[in-house]
Amino acid sequence: MVGPNRRAILRGGAGAASLAAGVLPAPGLLAQAKSPYAGTTINASCFQTTYFEYLKNYFPQFEEKTGIKVAFTMQAFPVYNQRTDLELSTKGSSLDVINVTFIYSGRWIGAGWVTNLDPFTKDPKMTPADWDPEDFAGGPQSAMKNAKGETFGFSWEAGAMILGAARYDLIEKAGLGLPKTFDELIKVCDAVHNKEGVAAFTADKLHHWNWIPYLMGSGGAIFKAPPDNLTPTLATPQAAQSGEWYANLLMKYGPDGILSYSDDQSMRSQMSGRANIRTQAITWMVPLAKHAESTVQKTVRYGLMPAGPAGNFPGSNSHGLGIPAGSKKKEAAWEFIKWALSKETIAMVVKNHGYPSVCRLSIIKSPEFKDVLTLNGQDVASLFLEVLQLGGKTGYMKYRTVPVFPQVGDKINKAIERIATKQQAAPEAMKQAQAEAIQDLQKAGIKVDL
Amino acid sequence: MISSPSGFSRTQGRFFAFCVAPSLAVLALITLLPALYLLATSFTPLNLTRPETQWDFSQPLENYRQLLSDSRLHNSVWVQIKLSFWTVLLQLLIGLLLALLLNMRSRLLEALRTVFLIPMVLPPIVVAIIWKVIYTPDISPMHGIFRALGWNVPALITDPDWALTSIIIADTWEWFPFTMLMVLAALQMMPQELLDAAKVDGASPWQLTRYITLPFIQGVLLVAGLFRLIDSIKAFPLIFILTDGGPGNLTEVTNYYSFLQAFNFSYLGFSSAITVALLAATIALSWLIVRMVGWGVRVD
Repeated sequence: MVGPNRRAILRGGAGAASLAAGVLPAPGLLAQAKSPYAGTTINASCFQTTYFEYLKNYFPQFEEKTGIKVAFTMQAFPVYNQRTDLELSTKGSSLDVINVTFIYSGRWIGAGWVTNLDPFTKDPKMTPADWDPEDFAGGPQSAMKNAKGETFGFSWEAGAMILGAARYDLIEKAGLGLPKTFDELIKVCDAVHNKEGVAAFTADKLHHWNWIPYLMGSGGAIFKAPPDNLTPTLATPQAAQSGEWYANLLMKYGPDGILSYSDDQSMRSQMSGRANIRTQAITWMVPLAKHAESTVQKTVRYGLMPAGPAGNFPGSNSHGLGIPAGSKKKEAAWEFIKWALSKETIAMVVKNHGYPSVCRLSIIKSPEFKDVLTLNGQDVASLFLEVLQLGGKTGYMKYRTVPVFPQVGDKINKAIERIATKQQAAPEAMKQAQAEAIQDLQKAGIKVDL
Repeated sequence: MISSPSGFSRTQGRFFAFCVAPSLAVLALITLLPALYLLATSFTPLNLTRPETQWDFSQPLENYRQLLSDSRLHNSVWVQIKLSFWTVLLQLLIGLLLALLLNMRSRLLEALRTVFLIPMVLPPIVVAIIWKVIYTPDISPMHGIFRALGWNVPALITDPDWALTSIIIADTWEWFPFTMLMVLAALQMMPQELLDAAKVDGASPWQLTRYITLPFIQGVLLVAGLFRLIDSIKAFPLIFILTDGGPGNLTEVTNYYSFLQAFNFSYLGFSSAITVALLAATIALSWLIVRMVGWGVRVD
């Protein structure tokens, strides 16, 4: 008897498979066929960030579930902000999902360039109850709301500034611990600078973010009473003294060329063991312990931002996902935001990649998050929560979401550079920053006290 | 019947106008209209966050009044003058010298011509990144060599004494091949009889260069210089990537300042006024240079 040959079996198998495919489609295909968005493509954009680098791996899951294809682009932080600012101002429809950048949130929301998301969250057909918008921490969410309390974005990153010492072993060897005050920071830097070729301190060139906690800790401020009174307060003795102190910290204890460092360069200087201490948002700090290329995984330790004589003011910020007012695919865009910031998706990114800067309270308080953020035996999750709470308590971060902050921030950057390179004495540099800031604010139609 | 010479000229003129018209129409659409819009915008306080400012001509000269009192703008003009002067001068000198050298007949020199062209054909951003690497002490081969020699050289792009010079060096490296190429082309078209006649009269190599070659290529040098001058006023990628206008405002040229006003702060009206002033200054400067230097010898 002659049995069936190989070719006949394959032919039969293929026939059976196509029959099965016709009668019993795969669950993903079934879901797509049901989805009203099948075949839709949305354009989303954000600055370069680890959260979306990680999330991109799971886009196929979203596409399978909803039938929506996501064209996601990322650019460097300033480039993204410039492009999006321009795109939003034209009310164009080329973007459907954007990152609502912290320092631009007041401006974009205030100008009506971003969609109010309340109608989406309040409609049970659009948003199931268990998605729970109230689960997003209040501090980070405050930047995503207008004065009426309407929500224009949901935060995916809560930046909380902490101190990271890449080579804590050098500090221990010097018989010291993590600095808790500005004075202690200088003492530690003095003791460890250039030990084993490691610069004691590093920072990036965004001084209007890095310097402000030191300014506030010294009793200074950016504006008189933001957001109501935006008169700059840069020409004060506190600002001059703190500006000089910070410029000295950079130039005396930083690596050569520190004034040109981007945020990534600064992180790399720590990861490669060329620089020790940095005060920066937690997102830039966790890779020191977790990144495969980090040479300081075992020696890095974390602490709270040091306090000044006037108190402790670690920077905290948030970035959220929003929908441009000009988008023609708002509902599909909301589907993406809902998925990208659902409890399940965030938990998955935290679990699989150790992402630290989440904004959902249910996740921050979960044992899994604590596990992920226990680094070298340190409970970094608690540090993170502590900073978020500090930021929310007194509202000292309000200076940063006013629509004219980009203009004033630029003046601060320039002033710190002029002091650091000794082009000007600190009082003179801050006085110039104040005058230029006032000129710019008046151009924007802001009333200032003269 | 043969038409009169003046009738023929008119017909010829109409034909030329007919041929040029489509190009002029396209040029008007893509150049003139935006330029007119720029001019109109410069008379408004246009701010992207305040749409009502778009056609507000209530204080048409306000932006121009602010130009006069903006010290940062004045500083940027001074930086621009320094940058343009040095980059154009160095590019013309180096380009000319290399062109004279490469004009000699030699296989090696012919091969070198292509090598010298590389910086010019690289995308400007790539050039900026190359120089960023060179100027960043901890990853720079140049600083590595200096360290090996025991020299303590500071980070050039953040040093107030060197920041602008470092931009000038990078820009010169990128663009000297342009002058070199133009001069080389002119040299290769120079009639050999002129040189031969001068040699017969006993001219020295220096005299040949001074009295024959330089007058011959004067027009080309002028065109190359003007191109480079206009391009230097548009300098952007090197400054954006290397210094961001800093430290402080030491490398902030007018073009970059205008960009900041428009795209970082949304003051499009003010930025348009800066651009209009810059455009007017560039045209005036080019006209002045052409008047002063002249186009040189023309050989038909």
